[in-house]
Amino acid sequence: MVADAKWSAGRLISRQRSLRTPVILLVILLVIAAFHGPHLFTSDGLAGGLVGAAPLMLATLAMTPIAIAGPAGVDLSIGPAMTLINIAIVMGLPEIGLSSPLAVFACAIGLGVLLQVVMGTLIAVLRVSTVVVTLAVYLVLDGMNSVILPQSGGTAPDWLASWGSASTIFSLVLYVPLAAFVLWALVSRTTFFRNIRLMGANDRTAFVSGIPLIPTRIGAHVVAGVFVGIASVMYTGLIGSADPTAGTPYTLSAVTALIIGGASLGGGHAKGLGSVLGAIDIWLISYVLSTFNFGLDASYWVQFTTGAVLVASLIAGGLLTGSSRPRLARWRKRRGGQAEPGVS
Amino acid sequence: MRAIVGQHGSSVMASVVLLALVVFGAVSIDGFWSLINLRSSLVFASFLGVATVGQTLCALIGGLDLSIPFVVGAANVGLVKLLNDGLPSPVGIVVVFVLGALIGAFNGVLSHRLRGQSLVVTLGVGNAVLGLIQILVSSGGNSGISGGTIQGAVPQWLQSFATANHTIGIAPAVILWAALAALNIVLLRRTWLGRSLYALGGNRVAADRVLISGPWTWTLVFAASGVTAAMTGVLLLGYTGSGYAGVGDPYLFTTIAAVLIGGTSLVGGRGGYGLTVLGVLILTVLQTILSGYSLSSSAQEAILGLLIIPAVALYARSPHPRMQI
Repeated sequence: MVADAKWSAGRLISRQRSLRTPVILLVILLVIAAFHGPHLFTSDGLAGGLVGAAPLMLATLAMTPIAIAGPAGVDLSIGPAMTLINIAIVMGLPEIGLSSPLAVFACAIGLGVLLQVVMGTLIAVLRVSTVVVTLAVYLVLDGMNSVILPQSGGTAPDWLASWGSASTIFSLVLYVPLAAFVLWALVSRTTFFRNIRLMGANDRTAFVSGIPLIPTRIGAHVVAGVFVGIASVMYTGLIGSADPTAGTPYTLSAVTALIIGGASLGGGHAKGLGSVLGAIDIWLISYVLSTFNFGLDASYWVQFTTGAVLVASLIAGGLLTGSSRPRLARWRKRRGGQAEPGVS
Repeated sequence: MRAIVGQHGSSVMASVVLLALVVFGAVSIDGFWSLINLRSSLVFASFLGVATVGQTLCALIGGLDLSIPFVVGAANVGLVKLLNDGLPSPVGIVVVFVLGALIGAFNGVLSHRLRGQSLVVTLGVGNAVLGLIQILVSSGGNSGISGGTIQGAVPQWLQSFATANHTIGIAPAVILWAALAALNIVLLRRTWLGRSLYALGGNRVAADRVLISGPWTWTLVFAASGVTAAMTGVLLLGYTGSGYAGVGDPYLFTTIAAVLIGGTSLVGGRGGYGLTVLGVLILTVLQTILSGYSLSSSAQEAILGLLIIPAVALYARSPHPRMQI
């Protein structure tokens, strides 16, 4: 999986500036991992890595269309939403006698889309900012999860619970994320998706171009909802049970991965590939740190490094693109003025 | 509706909601009006109130400070460590405030440069700071941190600062909050600096044209937020008596909720600290009532979330693109 992403990234990096930061970070982390934790490159290690990183990859992918739809399109609700769907899969579905893969995926994707449509409608119709709506939904869902399920418990359906201990990479653990990436690749090439991009870059231009803003924005949330559902299934496979709080930190991790992946909260700019790379980076940071002997301090190091990498990638991104451009232009003008005095 | 809401709509509406909640609480819950309950509620309100000073200022210029809970936790744990190392408590507190201001200033500089990204900037800085402080504190041998908590000798005066049954009749923390609130309201309404926050939040380009320095104001505002967050951490240390890195966690979203429910817009340029005081009081009274009905803290969180959208939908809707062309 990692190699696969690197291959396509290698082809793209010469053209895509926003992918530079996540790819450079990925290479650095892989080099450290190669020397310090070579276990990652065994079949066992790869499968473990994939199981561990897949929920975050899909969660970040789910945040991507909302970030593109902008402005300040951050979906804070994703952690509690994944937790709610996790509880529904493990505790709810067996109650009505369903545990087949089809039922689990249908339930997860259905719930994810439903939640996102509600939020998208509030954002698009009421014109309340995305941060406010998703923050409110974060609070509602996070509170509700602990009320529905005060303590962790239950076990995931057998076919799903076995994912967590997967020792070979060629199983559903690989095929499900791959299918999700293919789905992303297809959706992101449609006219509908281009409309989302235009709306995110400049909603006034989109409006005067005749793009229906409300359906387009809700549509972005529907796409997000599908990936929230798949992320929740992968997450349930990872922990193998239902837990009222363990999924909540995915909000912060996914926001971090999204930004490292080169998304701009201004709207209009975010790439699926960048998001996936960002998520792999985040997972690799905690993997690499776990190979050092930090003992009890390990979680502090993960928190510090994740925060520092987020800030560093923001600074790097700001210098490579956007805000440094006027200065660069001014500099070129000055240089040009000095070097070619006779032109004018 | 819009005519009634008008210019002072949010303060009227928030006051009505607060009054209704107080009446409802007084009627339906025994001991709501008791002196003990009022005094201890005010202490809780003062913690949230001090922490939201910074969030309100950031919201006014169109930013958002998510580093508050992390700075609260870092100040809380860091001060214990400084005291354990033998620093006199006033010096330790000053050091913590200065560090809070520096962290905030860094947030401000970066957030201004990367416009519209203050949410992620502060999130990253906050995580880095709290992680770093915990690493530094834990390397201190047996006096260090374990499981996020750190024990130490918290001075008596700091502990009594946040006790509800203080000899002067009210916790000094509440007086501190009241003083901060008064200072803030005067600052925002009557000074050039205060008005320039509204100008910046309203329209960045226009503010720049009338020579309001964006970078300087953003730095100052976020530094102020860092100081008030550190202050909350110190107050909470006095209240609990031992350091805990996660002590600020509830303030991540409740500070934003208090700002929004009061009626200050996150887009910038509209609102004020007076409104946030109302928001803080609404949240505190609501919490007292819900606890009175023996609802768990999770259920309270859910109800709080349900309140936010209607509050924002009344005042802070963004205009339709057709109105912006």
